[in-house]
Amino acid sequence: MPVRVVESSVPSQVSGPNSGHHSPQISSLLSVGQAFSGSQNVSSLQKQEAWKVNVRIQGCDLDRGYLCGTMEALNVPMADTPVVTFWEGEIVDIKNYTFFTGKWEAMPDDDIKHWTKFPSFAPFQSQVQADGGKSLDLSNYPFIFMRWKEQYFVNVGTDCGLTIAGFYYVCFSCADVTINGFYYDPNSSPFQKLELKSANEGKTGFSFSSYELQ
Amino acid sequence: MPTTASASTTSGSDGGPSSLVARLSSSDPDVKLKALREVKNQIIGSKTKKLSYIKLGAVPRVASILSAAIADGDCFQTAPAASVRGMLGYSSNVVVQSAAALGSFACGFDDGVQAVLAAGALPLLVRLLDHPDDKVVDVGARSLKMIYQSEFAPKYEILERGSLEFLVSLLNREGENVTELGAHIIAHSCRTFEEQKVMLKAGVLKRLVSLLDGSVGQRDASLGSLAAAFKNNSEVIKEFLGPHGGKLFNAILRLTMDSNAKTRLLACQCLIVIRDATDCYILELGLNRKLVNTLLELLDDPGQVGDESPFVLSSLVLGKEDLHTIALEADAMVKFRDCMEKENVNPRRLRGVLLALADLCSKLEICRSTFLSMQVLKPLVGFLNHKEEDIRIAACNCLKNVTRSIKNLCAGYFMKNEALVTALVLLLMDASEEVQVAALGVVSNIVVDFTTQKSMFVAHEGMQQLFGLSKSMVPAVRSNALWALRNMTFLADDKCKEAVYFGMTPSLIADLICDDELSVQEQALALVRNLVDGSVESIEQVFADDGIILDAAGSQLQCGPNAEVLIQGMYVLGNIACGNEIHKEAVMCLLFPLVGRGPEPFFVNFLLSTDSRLRLATVWVLINLTLPSPGALNRQQRLQKEGVLSIVRSMVNDPCLDVKIRVKTLLTQTELGDF
Repeated sequence: MPVRVVESSVPSQVSGPNSGHHSPQISSLLSVGQAFSGSQNVSSLQKQEAWKVNVRIQGCDLDRGYLCGTMEALNVPMADTPVVTFWEGEIVDIKNYTFFTGKWEAMPDDDIKHWTKFPSFAPFQSQVQADGGKSLDLSNYPFIFMRWKEQYFVNVGTDCGLTIAGFYYVCFSCADVTINGFYYDPNSSPFQKLELKSANEGKTGFSFSSYELQ
Repeated sequence: MPTTASASTTSGSDGGPSSLVARLSSSDPDVKLKALREVKNQIIGSKTKKLSYIKLGAVPRVASILSAAIADGDCFQTAPAASVRGMLGYSSNVVVQSAAALGSFACGFDDGVQAVLAAGALPLLVRLLDHPDDKVVDVGARSLKMIYQSEFAPKYEILERGSLEFLVSLLNREGENVTELGAHIIAHSCRTFEEQKVMLKAGVLKRLVSLLDGSVGQRDASLGSLAAAFKNNSEVIKEFLGPHGGKLFNAILRLTMDSNAKTRLLACQCLIVIRDATDCYILELGLNRKLVNTLLELLDDPGQVGDESPFVLSSLVLGKEDLHTIALEADAMVKFRDCMEKENVNPRRLRGVLLALADLCSKLEICRSTFLSMQVLKPLVGFLNHKEEDIRIAACNCLKNVTRSIKNLCAGYFMKNEALVTALVLLLMDASEEVQVAALGVVSNIVVDFTTQKSMFVAHEGMQQLFGLSKSMVPAVRSNALWALRNMTFLADDKCKEAVYFGMTPSLIADLICDDELSVQEQALALVRNLVDGSVESIEQVFADDGIILDAAGSQLQCGPNAEVLIQGMYVLGNIACGNEIHKEAVMCLLFPLVGRGPEPFFVNFLLSTDSRLRLATVWVLINLTLPSPGALNRQQRLQKEGVLSIVRSMVNDPCLDVKIRVKTLLTQTELGDF
């Protein structure tokens, strides 16, 4: 979700999904088409403020620890319409990505400060601080840690007065189907909290659409 | 194809080609010999003239002259005095001229090779290899060499009795053309594991290696034949090269820097064959870089080497991300774009470039984004209309890989491109089914458009074409058309879904669900799965025509043997079970049919399946049926009575975390969990 300071973002260099074959999924509710809604606290010292947020997962490639989707901020004061951004995610699976970000101006200290905000990170904290957690096996852990980085504005221009310079530390709970996140940007208010829940969009159940690239 | 002289020589003057061809049948030996020489001289290096003489029926006449000369017998006697003095006798001269003419027809020209073969000249030329005169042997070998460099040459059966001895004898003779011929025959005909082993055991490979120190022709022929002898055969490679590759590996490496372009190309090809067949000759990063650079440089060659280099490059980078990065850093994309933008590019070269470009964009997003940022899309879209079918297919395959970029799909990048959409829709009407399949591959990707820009595709009658192609007699076309419709309906609005229901009709969808082809069944069910994910209205559509679609889905679920089909089918039910009470009850009716029932419901097997995806899909159906709603308790009781929930209870420690969590959800929801 965009915030107010204007700064350009660096495009990531990751691949799209594998084509034509059925890749495994870590959680059926973190798969393409799934929708989440909630809010992001964007309060500053001067003002308490929260923006409504909708998220949709659009692509997933677990082999590469890749996830992507769109994020829609609904009541952005300076925008006439909801602002939609496209984001790409790194899944902390130790194979492709570790808990250490290593880019986007995030130092290991920043990483630890943010990850420790999630109670589900507690069992790993000492190991991560010792060796980056490179020997951890997260495959059967019911929480999925990720970083989400917004890449571009979908429906507004870059001159909209908003920025997507930062990124989110994210934790998905497989059981609760909730997403919690903390926005990190050295130039923005610290620890802006993102809270999302699975959105059933008027349905009496959980439905699953699918697509497959060739 | 050759035609008869009488049918083709309609308008020749005395000095024209027709007259010349007629003189090949002259009764005057001198006139005939002179005509033979003239034909040979005229066709050298000119494909147009070769074709023209082939059409005039020259090849059968030349073959007939050669046959007559051989039958004459004189030329196979001990070398006459004239030959000893360095001059050929008449018969030998005719043999030399006719054999040389046949070789010229075949030289670098597949139509010529086919004409020579059709005229029955191959065994005649082989006979010349036993001639006492070295010059005759040489010209015979040279002509045969031309034939064996073409894919149209017949396979030489290496395992037949006497064949191997013959090959060895060729390789051990002194004449360059003869040894080269031996190597070319091997390059052309050594294909099977057994043939490769026999070559190794007979010491043929050692002899081929020794040819690497010979003339340029021998060296090149040797490299080609070694590649054939090594291809996909790690056993032969390891036995011959030893654990570390040894001298031969290094010798081939050196040849990648040879001054001769063809040698460099063949050396690269040989190294790639070795790498692909074994896991112990992993090429170092520096060497990979060198090979990529060499092959890209060879693209500048205006001739056959330049035409072939992108194919070799493609085999080097195929499926290898590290090599994609290296090629990208070596500016491969610029080279390919420049090549594509040239006028009158040789179609073979163009196909190779498109193939290599497709490989390069198959995995890494950075390659796709470079492709798009360098404006390669524009010329590529142009090739969708190319007159040659192979090029249209290659262009589609390249686009298919480029359009795997979710980042650009999300931005609606491809659907905005009217030239692309228009060209693709036209290809859906192509006369070639292969082109249709390839085009559908691209369409399947670009219609996964997360913005609402599908209107251009619809405006160009794209959807109508997809409906039509879903009825094709060709399974791959049907399957791909459905694949495109399935992707198009991913999170689509009700209007789009209605258009699909209306355009396809429930009975067609039901027929496709029950198609003979598994891939068609899977895509048809995946399409229905998307159609019923959304509003209650969109679910309602599936009940049209007495629920014919649901019946088809139900029958597949009860007897379909394929997990992919079953998974899609269960998600159809799961999505319908997100609707109202009527919809949920309809799903219950499908799960517990009145007729054809066994001792337990069919879907119990799905819960016990070894495929976690099928277990998961089934658990989701049950979750949706028992979520709090007016009829949930009844459904829960039915599931309990039928023994389904007791099976679910046994899944609390499912090895798949996702299934385990959802089982817990289900049991908690049905208040039967002991947590």
